[in-house]
Amino acid sequence: MPNHQLLDNINHKDVHVITQHTPEFGDNSSYSHVFLSEFRDVQAHYPIFFQKNAQTGQFEAIALFGLAGEENLFLTDAGWQASYLPLSIQRRPFLIGFQESNEDGVISEEPVIHIDMDSPRISYNQGEAVFLPQGGQSPYLQQMSTTLMAIHQGHQQTQAFIDSLQQHDLIESVEIKVTLDDDSKHAMNFLYTINEEKVAQLSDQVVADFHRLGYLKAIHMILASMPNMSHLIALKNRLLK
Amino acid sequence: MDNLVREVTIVGGGTAGWLTAGVIAAEHMANSESGIKVTLIESPDVKPIGVGEGTWPTMRGTLQKMGIDETEFFRECDASFKQGAKFAKWVTGDEDDFYYHPLVLPEGYEKINLAPYWQPQSAKVSFADAVSFQGHLCEKGLAPKQITTPEYAHVANYAYHLDAGKFSAFLQKHCTEKLGVRHVLDHVTAVNASENGDIASVSTKQHGDIKGDLFIDCTGFNSLLLGKHYNIPFICKKHILFNDTALAVHVPYQTENDAIASHTISTGQSAGWIWDIGLPSRRGVGHVFSSAHTTVEKAEKELRDYIRPSLGQQADEISIRKIPINPGHRKLFWHKNCVAVGLSAGFLEPLEASALVLVELSAAMISEQLPANREVMDIVAKRFNDKFLYRWDRIIDFLKLHYILTKRTDTQYWRDNCLVESIPEDLQTLLKLWRYESPWQLDFDHADEVFPSASYQYVLYGMGFETTARHTTRRSDNIELAQMTFQNNAQLTQKLLAGLPNNRELINKIKQYGLQKI
Repeated sequence: MPNHQLLDNINHKDVHVITQHTPEFGDNSSYSHVFLSEFRDVQAHYPIFFQKNAQTGQFEAIALFGLAGEENLFLTDAGWQASYLPLSIQRRPFLIGFQESNEDGVISEEPVIHIDMDSPRISYNQGEAVFLPQGGQSPYLQQMSTTLMAIHQGHQQTQAFIDSLQQHDLIESVEIKVTLDDDSKHAMNFLYTINEEKVAQLSDQVVADFHRLGYLKAIHMILASMPNMSHLIALKNRLLK
Repeated sequence: MDNLVREVTIVGGGTAGWLTAGVIAAEHMANSESGIKVTLIESPDVKPIGVGEGTWPTMRGTLQKMGIDETEFFRECDASFKQGAKFAKWVTGDEDDFYYHPLVLPEGYEKINLAPYWQPQSAKVSFADAVSFQGHLCEKGLAPKQITTPEYAHVANYAYHLDAGKFSAFLQKHCTEKLGVRHVLDHVTAVNASENGDIASVSTKQHGDIKGDLFIDCTGFNSLLLGKHYNIPFICKKHILFNDTALAVHVPYQTENDAIASHTISTGQSAGWIWDIGLPSRRGVGHVFSSAHTTVEKAEKELRDYIRPSLGQQADEISIRKIPINPGHRKLFWHKNCVAVGLSAGFLEPLEASALVLVELSAAMISEQLPANREVMDIVAKRFNDKFLYRWDRIIDFLKLHYILTKRTDTQYWRDNCLVESIPEDLQTLLKLWRYESPWQLDFDHADEVFPSASYQYVLYGMGFETTARHTTRRSDNIELAQMTFQNNAQLTQKLLAGLPNNRELINKIKQYGLQKI
């Protein structure tokens, strides 16, 4: 069970975070959310798909790490086998919470940093210090803070992108069928991708709008990420040997 | 003047009028210059009856074809899921007496008839539970899909419960704003005949005469065009289906988190039965009964007794609306250039929610076969009449089936229902046959039967009917396949019980987040 706490330099004064990515520290998920701002880096390593959020049914963009539920083919005892870590993996064990602030009677929601104190990454003697001895933010925490802000902004941007794709019927479901070297078959039927034909039929006006918003680039990066599926399958086949 | 059909004029709003307008306008491009012109004239002060808060699964296809967004429909019409009906106290009248008529077909229905294989096990497991998972989902209050299931798609087949008044207003908005239906709010004061006996136009108070090449009578019990203008006789079916009065109430939930049943609950009473339909904001409950077998006072008492467990003292204060029912239908539905859809064509008690489905089926056939000109209209009219006379008869048979299998003898009502002279001959014949052979695909003549043989199986075997096993073997006997199919159903049941969300939770989520198109 996650144990989310508002981060502060009194309660969490001595907390350290283990930043290595090996199986004992979690991350054994077959995907993570990805954001528009990081598509360029993500597409170089992982296939980008859309899937429906199990709680809301709304589409979200993901990078795929494995072919089955809890399988992360990049996560090995020797560390994460790719040079780019998606923001939502980097951030762990930190997350964004919202705090109500009252300034001159105006109530607004301020993003604040929370920490999951039940994460296996939490330590008191190894890893990166969160706070400096005098209580200031460590460079590591400042970097995490930047990551969280990128996620916070990326979330809204990515949602707007997905809304536009849906508005123009550009998302289609895709069934991935894989036969591995040992002849075992895997099928994934919960993934969605870009409908290339529909993209080709977009009107000039929409293409211009999409270009201006950076959506055209994002669409092409999603399409260009597809060959990474072969990489996933190769990683999986390597495990069979 | 040529005799081409270019304008369809619908008289009467309500769900029948707006559904028919929507189906025709969507298919025949009423919003384009080259399409059919659809006009709906609605009287500003005649309140629609709002029959049927229950639909059939066909409604999903009907709404989808009209270009309606299912999420909007849930948000605007106080709609909820319906996965079938639970019939309580229809067989013995005891507290533990109930059976399900689910909307999914029995498992493996395209391959095997499980009824004969289930019959020897009938003491151990109900027919519905042996062959389908849906009764379990209903008992556990689960929804028929997940938030990730696309709109109109299902995990378990489903229909809707809805607020008929809101549904009508919702359809009106969609028809006028999206589908190009012209809406005239006015009183029809006269029906004007042309030389050949067709309806040339209807006169209105403020909009003058409104013409039409085809008139659709959706004027409710009034039956203004088919009944009053053309004097097409009404065929009463009260000698078969005795119920002639309904008392309806709206029952509020006690908290906003109260469970919403995902099935209609029909509970047998001393001289009728009570419907119980769960909408997100309230329950619609009503008592349908035979006034020849009880008094309104007694029926009202049974209704208040029924809602007392959930309302307490309030049950005695809540106001009740009385609705007369004249069970039966017109002798013809399409006469000259006029076709009746909805209550103007007929009405039967709401036992299997046949009212709205008949509207859908009528609208679909009118739309699909919409005569290109007056010359071929009589051909289509004859087809329509033949088909719908057949359909009304099958619905009457199927409704009557629920009564004649009862073992209740506690009141005259149940005893009278089993009198041979009250049972249509077709039904008597089928029942005789079913003593030796369970209902199967070829028992019915038409490819597009209103009730498939599966529905007959659910009711027959739900009510404890026995089909004697054949004494000789058949090549198609396949006990292994039967056992495997029973097992598949058991596994599927476990899987769905674990994977489907609570009914109210899903409806709340649909309202909050919406369903995806894909």
